[in-house]
Amino acid sequence: MGLQSNGLSLEIVGREISGRPVPGKPRRPLGPYLLGLPALLLSCLLLVPIGVTVVAAFRRPDGSFGLANFAVMGDPAALHAVGNSLAWIAVALALVVVGFLLALVSYRLPGLSTFLQPALVIPFAVSVLVSGVTFRLIFDATPERGTVTAVWTKLFGSSPVWLGPGLFWLVLVSAFGWTWLGYVVSLFRAGLEAIPDDVSRTLTAEGVTGWRRLLALELPLLRPITGVVTLTLVIAAVRVFDLVLIVVPGPMQGDADVLGLNWWRAAGTGEPAGRTAALGVVLFAIVAAVAVIGVRGLRRRRWAMPVRVVRADPAVGRSRPSKRVRRIGWTVGFAVGLFWILPAVVLVATALHSPREAGLRGWWSLDGIGLESFAAAANAGLLRALLSTVLISTIATAVLLVIAVPTAYLVAWGGLPHWLGRLVTSSFVVLAVTPVQMYAAPLRDAIGSAGLAGSRVALALVHAAAGLPFAVLLLRSAFASAPPVLVAEALQGPARQSAVLATVQRTYRPALVAVAVLEFALVWNDFIVGFLISGPGTTPLSLVLWGEARQFSAASGTVAAAAVVASVVPVVLLLSFWPTVVRGLTVGSKP
Amino acid sequence: MPTSRRAFLGASAALLAASCSGTPDALGLRRSVRVAVSWSGQELRAFHSVLDNLGRLDYPVEVVPLGDDISTAFGPRSARRPDLVMLPQPGLVAEHRSDLESMPDDLAGRGRALLWDELLVADGTTYGLPFKTANKSAVWYRPSVLEKAGLEPPTQWSEWLNVNRSLAASGIRPLALAAGDGWVLTDFLENVLLGSSPSTYQALATAAHPRLSEQPAFAAALRLLGTMWSAPGVLAGGVERSLVQQFPDAIVEVFGHRRAAMVLASDFAEPVVRSFAANPGDIAMFTFPPMSPGTAAPVVVGGDVMVLPKPAGDDARDLVRRLAAPAAVDPWIAAGGFLADGRTTGYSPELTRLAKQLVTPTASLQFDLSDRLGRLGDINGLWRVLTGFLVRIGGRGSDVVPDATEAALAELKKVES
Repeated sequence: MGLQSNGLSLEIVGREISGRPVPGKPRRPLGPYLLGLPALLLSCLLLVPIGVTVVAAFRRPDGSFGLANFAVMGDPAALHAVGNSLAWIAVALALVVVGFLLALVSYRLPGLSTFLQPALVIPFAVSVLVSGVTFRLIFDATPERGTVTAVWTKLFGSSPVWLGPGLFWLVLVSAFGWTWLGYVVSLFRAGLEAIPDDVSRTLTAEGVTGWRRLLALELPLLRPITGVVTLTLVIAAVRVFDLVLIVVPGPMQGDADVLGLNWWRAAGTGEPAGRTAALGVVLFAIVAAVAVIGVRGLRRRRWAMPVRVVRADPAVGRSRPSKRVRRIGWTVGFAVGLFWILPAVVLVATALHSPREAGLRGWWSLDGIGLESFAAAANAGLLRALLSTVLISTIATAVLLVIAVPTAYLVAWGGLPHWLGRLVTSSFVVLAVTPVQMYAAPLRDAIGSAGLAGSRVALALVHAAAGLPFAVLLLRSAFASAPPVLVAEALQGPARQSAVLATVQRTYRPALVAVAVLEFALVWNDFIVGFLISGPGTTPLSLVLWGEARQFSAASGTVAAAAVVASVVPVVLLLSFWPTVVRGLTVGSKP
Repeated sequence: MPTSRRAFLGASAALLAASCSGTPDALGLRRSVRVAVSWSGQELRAFHSVLDNLGRLDYPVEVVPLGDDISTAFGPRSARRPDLVMLPQPGLVAEHRSDLESMPDDLAGRGRALLWDELLVADGTTYGLPFKTANKSAVWYRPSVLEKAGLEPPTQWSEWLNVNRSLAASGIRPLALAAGDGWVLTDFLENVLLGSSPSTYQALATAAHPRLSEQPAFAAALRLLGTMWSAPGVLAGGVERSLVQQFPDAIVEVFGHRRAAMVLASDFAEPVVRSFAANPGDIAMFTFPPMSPGTAAPVVVGGDVMVLPKPAGDDARDLVRRLAAPAAVDPWIAAGGFLADGRTTGYSPELTRLAKQLVTPTASLQFDLSDRLGRLGDINGLWRVLTGFLVRIGGRGSDVVPDATEAALAELKKVES
């Protein structure tokens, strides 16, 4: 068959087609699946105990199955705890809203972040236990010791008992907010920065302002970040445990009870295993429901921000604000930053007093300044605990990275069938929000009967398993948002998978750094996992703190010193990597 | 940035290497003897000094502070059973007897000493040894306040009520109550009950299924206690302040900030009293007075006993033997706030008095009731009931006491069932 056109002669040579056309099937090599195997094995550390707990929750004492164990929810104390846990989730959601609004303000007022940024990062870096200790110091009922009480008494003559009935909620919520607000603001802020300027300018030109602009532009574009933030905060809110233990004085602990604590008390006082398992399942159901709503954005679209491949032309960037606006932003930022850092100042100043003076007077007192409290903390086994914590955090982070990176790659680019990819992602979302109470008891028993009880390595592995889902989800979105051109090139090249891996790894380092830094800090600051799984025996740092905080005022100097020592590593780590961590979390990274 | 990051990573690697080579037990691979204790703060440090004083041991010792929740670690599903438990609730010994090893024969005699045998011995076998004894009938006060008001320390319950009234009238808050620690409230009640009806106390302590709410003498003791706590102006800072106050806070209120005159606190409060006192010369102590003329003064005894969960290794047994040696606790006695069972010398004057009271044959001596009641006596039982009682009556006058007593008994009935 030939064709002549414009002096060009084209000829097509072919075979005759015989038989009917057969639809092609992409080849799915088995190799990539092996990448997911270590993650599957590690996840079994959680999956199997979760299964055991679920079965136990539905099993009656006589061996048959039913809902009898859930009658525990008829117990007024358990109901009260459920109510409080729901209230904590509401607090977390409110914090997301407040953080978003603050991020909007700080976005509109450039210059604000100079001082505010580190002030917001520090609380996020310290453990909940430390922030609980700090706020208990600040709200101490004695005017000689408590900052707020002292100021209030000066102003109004006498002060309410801040840690007393009802008012302890204020202290709890302040401590929680102090810890998390910086994280929320930083993430939303990064999301706002990533909104393309042309989109933003087009809307402005069309006269879309105020609420309409928020609804049309910022909210939809920030949905993926809202997912991440909501997920993290809901997990944190449901994990509230150590905060209540350390802040709320004994007589009010019943009022402040949350489901996690209720579970722990029930497990400790030898309630039937089925009933405690039922409590765990209820706790899990609450979190899962909220989390699924929170991360709906994840299912609708890739959980990632649009990536700017080409650096934006600075000439067409946002117009530089006037000098006056910048100066206002700078001043406000300085003032707010100073206020925000105050709890940390209180903590350090308290630590720098001798135990006697710290117990008698507040941090502003000039008597008894010295390092005596640090020496006392060292005598309470702090250094040994520090060593133990370094080991556990390092092992957990290393294991996590080695396993999470290939898994995330598999989920993102490994060519999994669509349904399987979705299944894996959903299971990781579910695992990420699963409270420790769902797997603590069976895991503890299993570790005990394996003769590994108290081993730091076992604890580190549990930590790695618990951190895996979030790490995979985060890395997956980072990998998934790789520019398709890059991936396509790599896939067609001779080196195939390894080339993709190399490209992706080179391109998405921020997410890797974020995972590593966050996991290290999380394990470092952990109380609940170590406490529930391994028992207090492994004496990580936070447990020493907790022990010391039992007689609070007599030990406030020592507790503060231990808290300062415990916080140095995560604070330094997060302060030095914060911009990368935020980029990694929002995946708005530049290649 | 790259250099500092590299430096940081280098430093952490060095730290890791050092830790791996230096202390193999930091990884938890080498088996150490784990001692579970409820102590914290100064007491914990004192115990560390006791351990340091034992000399060179062939095994590492790890101290596990468990606080008020020591029973959770001792429970049936405990993850990593400690090798040695310093149990502050000897009442639990009977409950967990099947999980405990018997004490070495050469030491068993000490577990059979006065008071302890009914708790620690069953069928001729000793399951625990007293390590630390506590006299829970001590009231610490500032003598200068009483002198200034022309008062003497009370020798009878009714005198105590009068002292309170006179102090309150002259503008001094008599009592700092550490209601933040539930055991302070039960200690108070136990002293009143033991002073007013020793037989009821004994019956409740030894009953298989104690029913506190059904004992008229128990209700009477609650009412007596109510008359003191409900008197207006008696509690320093009022009820709300008391509720957030742990026992060191209460001591600081009396001796540090000097806003109150007296505080009920056991012998182990001594180091706190001495370290926070604004005036070291202004410290004194009286023991809980008898409830009526002619009756004996109540002495409520507490303590920490050493028990060995099964199966106990040779190392754990060796540690018990070393800790049971009379000289082992010398560093703690020197630090103050420690009474050793049967020993009456070597203490401060105040503690010597308390130690002598513990060996006086005529004293009305009983072991801490709430520590013997198991769950009924702990945070969700008697502690909570007494906290509620305090909230209902504190500072509101004696008129509210009968109703509050009824309410407390009703709550107690719920816990008992």
